[in-house]
Amino acid sequence: MNTSFNLILASVLGALTATAAETPAACCAVLPTEKPACCAPVPAAKPACCAEEKPSAPLSDKSLYQLEGKWINDAGQPATLNSLRGRPVILALFFASCEYACPVLVHDMKRLLAALSDDVRPDVQRVLVTFDTTRDTPPALRAFRERMELDSKWTLLTGTPSDVQELAMLVGVKYKQDARGQFAHSNLITLLNGEGEVIHQQVGLLGDVSAAATVLNTSGK
Amino acid sequence: MNALIITRVPNPLRHLFGVVLLGSGIMGATLARGEDAGHVGMALIPAGTYEPQLRNKDEPEQVAVGAFWLDARPVTNAEFLDFVRKHPQWRRSRVSPLFADRAYLVDWAADLELGDRIPPDAPVVRVSWFAARAFAKAHGKRLPTTAEWERAAAAGFSQAIGATEPGFSSAILNWLARPTPAPLPNVGQGRPNLFGAYDLHGLVWEWVDDFNTAMTTGESRADTGLERNLFCGAGAVGARNLNDFPAFMRAGLRSSIRANYAVPNLGFRCARDLPVTTDSSL
Repeated sequence: MNTSFNLILASVLGALTATAAETPAACCAVLPTEKPACCAPVPAAKPACCAEEKPSAPLSDKSLYQLEGKWINDAGQPATLNSLRGRPVILALFFASCEYACPVLVHDMKRLLAALSDDVRPDVQRVLVTFDTTRDTPPALRAFRERMELDSKWTLLTGTPSDVQELAMLVGVKYKQDARGQFAHSNLITLLNGEGEVIHQQVGLLGDVSAAATVLNTSGK
Repeated sequence: MNALIITRVPNPLRHLFGVVLLGSGIMGATLARGEDAGHVGMALIPAGTYEPQLRNKDEPEQVAVGAFWLDARPVTNAEFLDFVRKHPQWRRSRVSPLFADRAYLVDWAADLELGDRIPPDAPVVRVSWFAARAFAKAHGKRLPTTAEWERAAAAGFSQAIGATEPGFSSAILNWLARPTPAPLPNVGQGRPNLFGAYDLHGLVWEWVDDFNTAMTTGESRADTGLERNLFCGAGAVGARNLNDFPAFMRAGLRSSIRANYAVPNLGFRCARDLPVTTDSSL
């Protein structure tokens, strides 16, 4: 619903509407030579999220960005969690061939985004990390992006099983692959502040997102 | 450093080392590579099966487990002290709260001092999953998986299946019935199991690498619709053996802890894959 509205909005107003709405432009993933993959096409007034422009202050001891794992995005490019630093993040772990929960989880993330105030929403980074590190190759993640109509503000990552496991442990996500190759997993949306600290978690599917939205609206830069 | 640690190991364990070392040429080669890390004595756990205590109806009753090496006893305070000396980021005063909560090593007298109440050869407890994993990595090892740990622990003192061995289950239940002693006894004091592993029961609970695969809600009678919304694909869980009370306790513990928790009677031991058979040293 929201995405359709934004598509119409964007087609009418063009790319200049990027300051306030979801940006349906092609994701930076397909423009690898122009920007690092972490970079959503943010307005010029906003600081870019690129690692080399990051503040170099030490990370807080509660920052998830202390994890040193190496990640790959859906364009097949390397990425670090630290490259997300500077702007709030909504994060979920998922797998692309999920039959039930993960599409709902993404839907919940979109509902949360819709509940944000207009001045906070454009700044929020949306991050999906797969725990199906075998099947969710960059092309599989790219297909998921297209299927779920996720614009360039969404970052889709895969990594080594060990790095995914550590991230899952830090945010309290449980997951387990069954004999059919499907995963049983927690349904959890985690909110991070600009420093990568957990500021809220939304537990379960189809819940009330107002508490999570309030946290982001009041703490989002 | 190795010699110092080994001399503190109780006699039954020295005996074990001798048996294991002499009994397997492969083991000898493995230990030769691992001893530089200051942690010795691994038992070969042969390939077998693991029967999950709790499983979904879609999951198989038995899971194949390949052969692997498992530390013959839990990691001790002395060994963990040596680790935090060499890896300052894991000292109590420096560790990130993300990776270990405030109870981490709280019983030690100081960052680098066990104190009078903490025996060097007792199992280290109040260590987080992250810390245990870092210790294992520093020693060229890893934490055992749930399947591996349970596979090893299912063996009796002298029979492959402990549950049917007279006296084995009652020995475990006797341990569970006793409060945790303070200080904890030294490692390697009890009877080894069939594979030469000590203390899998009867001393402390132990971290496993994939403890976060245990999914239950706090209220097992909770509405299944709710559960489905909390855990995709984990709606219906059945139990293997309703009489295996210790297995329920382990499953319950694993589903209730988080990776940065430092729990009073939760320690760990390490595992290692079998060496590659093409290794020229074999």
